[in-house]
Amino acid sequence: ERGGTNSFTHEALTLKYKLDNQFELVFVVGFQKILTLTYVDKLIDDVHKEFRDKYRNEFQQKGTLGLLNGTFDFKDDFMRLLRDAEESSKVRAPTVMKTFEQSLKSQKTVKCMIETRGEKPKEKVKNKKNKGSKKEGTEAVATPGKAATGDKQPSAAGEKEELTKDEILQKNREEFFKRHMKAGEKSRSPKPEAQKEKGKKPRVWDLGNSNAKVLDYSNSATNGSAEACPVEEFDPDTALGDRNREPGRLYDLEYESDDEAEEEKVIQNPSKPSAKKGGLGGMFGMLKGLVGSKSLTREDMDPVLEKMKDHLIAKNVAAEIAVQLCESVAKKLEGKVMGTFTTVTSTVKQALQEALVQILQPQRRVDVLRDVMDAQRHHRPYVVTFCGVNGVGKSTNLAKISFWLIENGFSVLIAACDTFRAGAVEQLRTHTRRLNALHPPESHGGRTMVQLYEKGYGKDAAGIAMEAISYARNQGFDVVLVDTAGRMQDNAPLMTALAKLIAVNAPDLVLFVGEALVGNEAVDQLVKFNKALADHSMAQTPRLIDGIVLTKFDTIDDKVGAAISMTYITSKPIVFVGTGQTYCDLRSLNAKAVVAALMKA
Amino acid sequence: VIWRFVQGRRSSRKAVLLLGLCDAGKTLLFARLLTGRYRDTQTSITDSSAVYRVSNDKSANVTLIDLPGHESLRLQFLERFKAAARAIVFVVDSVAFQREVKDVAEFLYQVLVDSTVLKNAPALLIACNKQDVTMAKSAKLIQQQLEKELNTLRVTRSAAPTSLDGSATGGPAQLGKKGKDFDFSQLPMKVEFVECSARGSKGEEGDADFESLEKWLAKIA
Repeated sequence: ERGGTNSFTHEALTLKYKLDNQFELVFVVGFQKILTLTYVDKLIDDVHKEFRDKYRNEFQQKGTLGLLNGTFDFKDDFMRLLRDAEESSKVRAPTVMKTFEQSLKSQKTVKCMIETRGEKPKEKVKNKKNKGSKKEGTEAVATPGKAATGDKQPSAAGEKEELTKDEILQKNREEFFKRHMKAGEKSRSPKPEAQKEKGKKPRVWDLGNSNAKVLDYSNSATNGSAEACPVEEFDPDTALGDRNREPGRLYDLEYESDDEAEEEKVIQNPSKPSAKKGGLGGMFGMLKGLVGSKSLTREDMDPVLEKMKDHLIAKNVAAEIAVQLCESVAKKLEGKVMGTFTTVTSTVKQALQEALVQILQPQRRVDVLRDVMDAQRHHRPYVVTFCGVNGVGKSTNLAKISFWLIENGFSVLIAACDTFRAGAVEQLRTHTRRLNALHPPESHGGRTMVQLYEKGYGKDAAGIAMEAISYARNQGFDVVLVDTAGRMQDNAPLMTALAKLIAVNAPDLVLFVGEALVGNEAVDQLVKFNKALADHSMAQTPRLIDGIVLTKFDTIDDKVGAAISMTYITSKPIVFVGTGQTYCDLRSLNAKAVVAALMKA
Repeated sequence: VIWRFVQGRRSSRKAVLLLGLCDAGKTLLFARLLTGRYRDTQTSITDSSAVYRVSNDKSANVTLIDLPGHESLRLQFLERFKAAARAIVFVVDSVAFQREVKDVAEFLYQVLVDSTVLKNAPALLIACNKQDVTMAKSAKLIQQQLEKELNTLRVTRSAAPTSLDGSATGGPAQLGKKGKDFDFSQLPMKVEFVECSARGSKGEEGDADFESLEKWLAKIA
C-alpha cells in the first residue's frame, strides 16, 4: 500500500523499483546508498522496455506456465544496458575545464542558446556532482549548434509521458547543479551575481531543454521536491499531476476543457462496443485484438483519484496520508488492462478498497490473551503500558481492559504511574473498588482479581513502574497495566520521561491510546511519540509503539479515517477499540466494516 | 452464452489452494508440481494459478492456486479464492515450526473457522515441508503441537472482544467439540498430514520428494 514512493532504503543499500501493471512485473534495482547513481532511473526504464518487448509473447500467451518454464536469458541484454548507462554518465568526464574568462566569451551566445534550449530533447545529465557538472557545462558551451530544431516536434507533441518525465528530471538536475555551482563558484570569482548566474548557466546545463520562461515556471511547481533530493525521491508523476492543471502548456486545450463525465464516456465508449460483442462468447477473443481493452493511463485516473482523495479527507483521514494512498493506487493501476464491464471509477474504487483493507490488516498476531497465557507459563507478569496525549481516555480504557481480563480469569495489578494529574490515583482506586465488587474474591478462588499499586503524587513514574512489576512477580499477578500521564508530543522533558519508563521497564506491550476524533494531528502525535521512544532508548532495537487503542469510536458516525491514518503511519495493528464509557464498551477492529464505512458515499 | 455460464458454475470448485506462512515453500512446491524443476523464488505478492494434470493419467486435472503468505495479503486472497476451493494444502515449514507455531496455528484457525470453508468442507492436507533439512520436525509432532495450540486458540479467540459491527471475532462456529480437547478428527473435513520436501534431498538438481503429496492430489481430482 505504500506504492507511492519508488525507493526504499535498508542499511547500506537503496532499492528502486518500477511496476509494470499490464503484465504484473516488478523491476527492482539495488545499489549502495552512498553512491548517487543518476542513471538508475533511466536504466530501470530501459530494462523494463527491453524485457517487456523481448518476452511479450510469452507473457501474453502462456500465462503462469510460460513464466515457470520459460528461460529468461536476459543477462547479456542487461549487461549491455548497464554498460550503456554507465558510459553515458562518464562520457563528459575527460573534457578539459575551461577558465571563467573563456566561458564569459560564450555569454554572447547565451541569448541564442536560451531560445533553442527548449527544443533540445533528452540529453541525459549524469554526473558525479560538482566536478562532472563543470566539465559538462563546458561541453554544453561547445555544442550549442547541436541543438537540433527538428527535436522540437517530439518534445512539444506526441509521447508526452516519456519526454515530459525526462524533461522534468532534466530540469531538476539542472536546478540542483545550478545550486551546487553557485556554491562552488563563490570562492572563485568576484563577479557580480547577475553576471555570475548568466555565466554559470551555459556551464552547468548541458543545453537543457527549456527556455527561460518554461524554467521559471518549473521553479514554482517542482521546487519542493528538487530541494529534498532531486534525483532519488523526485516523483515525476506528481509534477505531471501539477502540469495537468497548467493552462495547456504541453497538452491540448481541449483536454483541459473536458470534464470528467465526458472523459468517462470517452473511455466507456470503446469499452461498451467491446462489451456488447464480448457477450457473443467465441467472438470475444478475436474482437479483443481488434477493439483492444483499454489500459489505464494517468489522465484517466486523475479526476477519479482527486474525488477519492477529497472523499477520504472528508472522512477524517489525514491529508498527507490520503495523498500518499491515492499515489500508490495510481502507481499500482497505471498501465493495467481493464476488463470490459468495468469503468475507471469502479476499478479505482476497488483498488483503493483493497489497499485500505491491506493497511488495516495486522502485520503480526493480535491476541493478547494468548500472550498472557504464555507469560503465565513462565511465571512472570505480562506488562502493558498505556501512553498518549492528554484526555484521550487512557484511564477509562485501562479499566475496560482490566475488566475484560478479569472476565477471562486473569488477575490484574494496576500501576498508577500518573503522578501528575489531580485525582488520577483516586480515579484508579475507584475503578479497582468497582471491579472488585463486580468480581468478588470468593468467585475466583479467594484471590483479589484487581489491585492498585500506587505511591501517591509527584514521584518518578519509572520507579513506580519497576516496583509494581516486581511486586506483581512476587505476588503472582498475571497482568500489570501501567497507566501514565497524558503528555503532548512536543513536550520534550515529558517525552524523555516516558521513553525512560519504557526503556527501563521493557514492557511486553506498549499501547498508544488515540481518540478517533483526531484528524491530521494523529500523524504528528504518532511520529513524535515513536521518535522520542527511539531516541532515548539505549538498546540496539528500541521498543516502539506495539499497538494502538482507538477510543471514543462511538462519537464518530462514519468518519473513521483516524484508524487509517494511525495504522498507516506506524504499521502497527489496532488492538482495541473503545466505544463508550462503561466497562463493556470494548471491541476489536473489523477491517471490512471500517473500510465499508469509509468508502460509503 | 448461458451454457458457458452454467459450465463455469459446475466447474467452479476445481481449485486446490496452497496456503501457509511466508517462506513455507508454497511457490517452490507450486513450481515443482507443475514443471518438475527447481526455481529460485521470491516472496509472492500476488496469486499464481495453473492447471495441474494428475500423473496417473486419469485425465483429471485440478487448478493449483498459489497464494501469498504475507500477513497483510493472505486474508485478502483467501477471501477471493475460498469459494472455489475443492481442497486446501496448508504448507508448514517444519524447520521453523517451533518458533512459528503460534502464527501457524492462528492462520490455520482463521482458515478453519471461515464460514465458507466450513460450509464446503474442502479436503485439507497439512504438508510439512522442508523435510530435507536435518532439524525438521516430523508430521506427528507437528500434528500434536497444532492440536494443542488450536485448543488454546479456541478459548482465547472466542473470548476476544466482539468486533465492531457485532459479529464475534472467533465466528459463531466453535471449532471441534466443546468440552473435549481439540482433535483434527473433530473437523467436518478430511484432514491428512504429509511430509514432503520441495527442494529434494539431492539439492537443486534432484527431484522433489513429494510422492505422498502427488498421491493425495490424485485422490482429490
